[in-house]
Amino acid sequence: MTTHALPHPAAIGSGRHTAGALFHFTIEHFLLLPIGGLIALVWANTRPESYFTLTRDLSFVVNEVGMALFFALITQEIVEEVMPGGALHTWRRWTLPAVAAVGGTIGAAFVYLAYVGFQYELVLSPGWPVAGAIDIAFAYFIVKAIFRRHAAIPFLLLLAIAADTLGLLAIASRQAFVEVRPGGAALMAAAIALAFGFRQWKVRTFWPYLAICGPLSWWALYVDGFHPALALVPIVPFLPHAPRSLDLFADAPHGRHDSPRHFEHVWKYPIQMVLFLFGLVNAGVLLSGYGTGTWALLVAAVIGKPLGILAATGVAVALGLHLPPRLHWRDLVVVALATSGGFTFGLFFATAVFPVGPILAELKIGAVATGIGVPLAFAAARLLHAGRFGRHAHHARPARSET
Amino acid sequence: MLRHLALALAVGLLPAAGLRDPAAQPGPARSGTGLPQLNAPVISAPLRPESLKFAVIGDFGDGGQAQYDLGRQMWAARAGFPFEFVLALGDNMYGRQEPQDFVTKFEKPYKPLLDAGVRFFGALGNHDKPENRFYPGFNMGGERFYTFVRQHVRFVVLDTNLMDPKQLAWADDTLRTAPEAWKIVYFHHPLYSNGGRHGSNVELRVLLEPMLVRHGVSVVLSGHEHIYERIKPQKGITYFVEGSGGQLRKGDLQRSATTAAGYDEDRTFMLIEVTGDEIRFRTIARTGMTVDSGVIGRRSTT
Repeated sequence: MTTHALPHPAAIGSGRHTAGALFHFTIEHFLLLPIGGLIALVWANTRPESYFTLTRDLSFVVNEVGMALFFALITQEIVEEVMPGGALHTWRRWTLPAVAAVGGTIGAAFVYLAYVGFQYELVLSPGWPVAGAIDIAFAYFIVKAIFRRHAAIPFLLLLAIAADTLGLLAIASRQAFVEVRPGGAALMAAAIALAFGFRQWKVRTFWPYLAICGPLSWWALYVDGFHPALALVPIVPFLPHAPRSLDLFADAPHGRHDSPRHFEHVWKYPIQMVLFLFGLVNAGVLLSGYGTGTWALLVAAVIGKPLGILAATGVAVALGLHLPPRLHWRDLVVVALATSGGFTFGLFFATAVFPVGPILAELKIGAVATGIGVPLAFAAARLLHAGRFGRHAHHARPARSET
Repeated sequence: MLRHLALALAVGLLPAAGLRDPAAQPGPARSGTGLPQLNAPVISAPLRPESLKFAVIGDFGDGGQAQYDLGRQMWAARAGFPFEFVLALGDNMYGRQEPQDFVTKFEKPYKPLLDAGVRFFGALGNHDKPENRFYPGFNMGGERFYTFVRQHVRFVVLDTNLMDPKQLAWADDTLRTAPEAWKIVYFHHPLYSNGGRHGSNVELRVLLEPMLVRHGVSVVLSGHEHIYERIKPQKGITYFVEGSGGQLRKGDLQRSATTAAGYDEDRTFMLIEVTGDEIRFRTIARTGMTVDSGVIGRRSTT
């Protein structure tokens, strides 16, 4: 019997191809984040001391610095969508999803606050924005899996962006620790003025915006007690942009988005690594740390938010707004349930609102547990015969509603 | 003097010669060893009249019968052990927390103590409204975290609900600069616990333990788990979980190698006496039975 010490060259080639395809799939489907989260959960519950020692040292760099790149990317995409020629240009496309987002946020906040009030754990009250958080990528992939190409997809993306913007506004000022100083305001003014100057001087590369304006803005937010991960949000609108269609997580089209000068092109992989580290640093919680905050968040995200979305949409439609063509109420129920998952944004909002401690741990578990929205959305789709579960789904023609 | 010695020997307050490690002195009562004797006498004489004496309770403010019973037992204990103040380890109030509730869940159960001038120094638990720090009965001066000194003991009170960097920096600075011989820290969530419901809060431990060790803290008191447990010294620090001052999770203690003593059959409170280089403690159940006792040596504060 002979054994081969080395694999056959063809096997190597095949292995490389498989590994490359797997890597591509992982990157394109934003799977590094859940992988990081899964590792964190297992690690925290088996070797908690080493896990929390590592995260104590890493959390500042990841949450307060690295995540600035993630929010820069999100801001970049939103700016390019709302500019003339972009998918979201004109307010009419925004109105109904924005109303739904307000309804979802109010519904989630109402249920969350009612729950913690009923349990008399008012120390949890500031955590209400966490309940309204929607993981945009997560919700997108659920709806895409159910509807493939359908008006539900842009509606969901608009809704999620609007809801998270509301949440970001709510947490931008961490009231308990904010202390606005003249120096901070001056730094921010300088950062924005410089970005404006670069724009006027037609600086096409993003590096000066990032390397000069970014740190100024970051430091301004940090010294004033605002969340510094939002440092690039006021800078990104000054970057050179190209309009884009609303397909946030698909491959970027050829053209200016592929330019080496383009922010998204350069930072696509580093941001995925940041998200992996974000999941690793934040998703590790001791499962015994669940408590009132966990249940409040879960109930608010799975019941309060979808009901709020449906109620607000119902009121808006009753007042004369129209649902997008081919988006039926049964589809809307599925979309509303797909928004339950908070994950990235839930974890981020939680760490922004609460410092390290048992309260934060309760909410982190809740944010992870909102994943229960996945089977609920699929179950609702099946029950209501929505999307791929429709009675005539296989006869349906592809819709062109994503533009 | 002879009378004190005899009383101490009688109740086990005096340790065997050379024994300083509480782990080497298991308490006289253990979980699961049977029901405590009803109406057992409370004998709790201090060894030295000039020593600092205080009591400890946690997780108590529910207004239930058990809380009232324990309040009476504390009052009875004070006859022989005239403690000056009480450390309240959080969850000082449960449920609704309107002005009337402060009467039924705090002022009435401990009325004799309060009337006698005994002051309670509260820490915030997860069930406490953050605004409770302004309630005069908890003597927190409107602060989430604060410090006070009695004789040669520095007490540092933390709010572990929200362990923000500002509080951490304050605690580090306070402990580092404290000149007192003894440093006792208390807060609601235990860094070490073998309670079945919550267990140790390892995330908080990673954050706080290095600081406590570095600055010579000898004793850390917490609640949250509705049991009583004494942990074997960890890096020189003795940890107590005293979370059964009103609430109780019967049978929840999951003993492990770190458990020095524990009790999960009934409500308890602690009596502590600080004398020179020793702390003598005793844990008493609602019935008056002593469920644990021992002596802790002082760690170097430099």
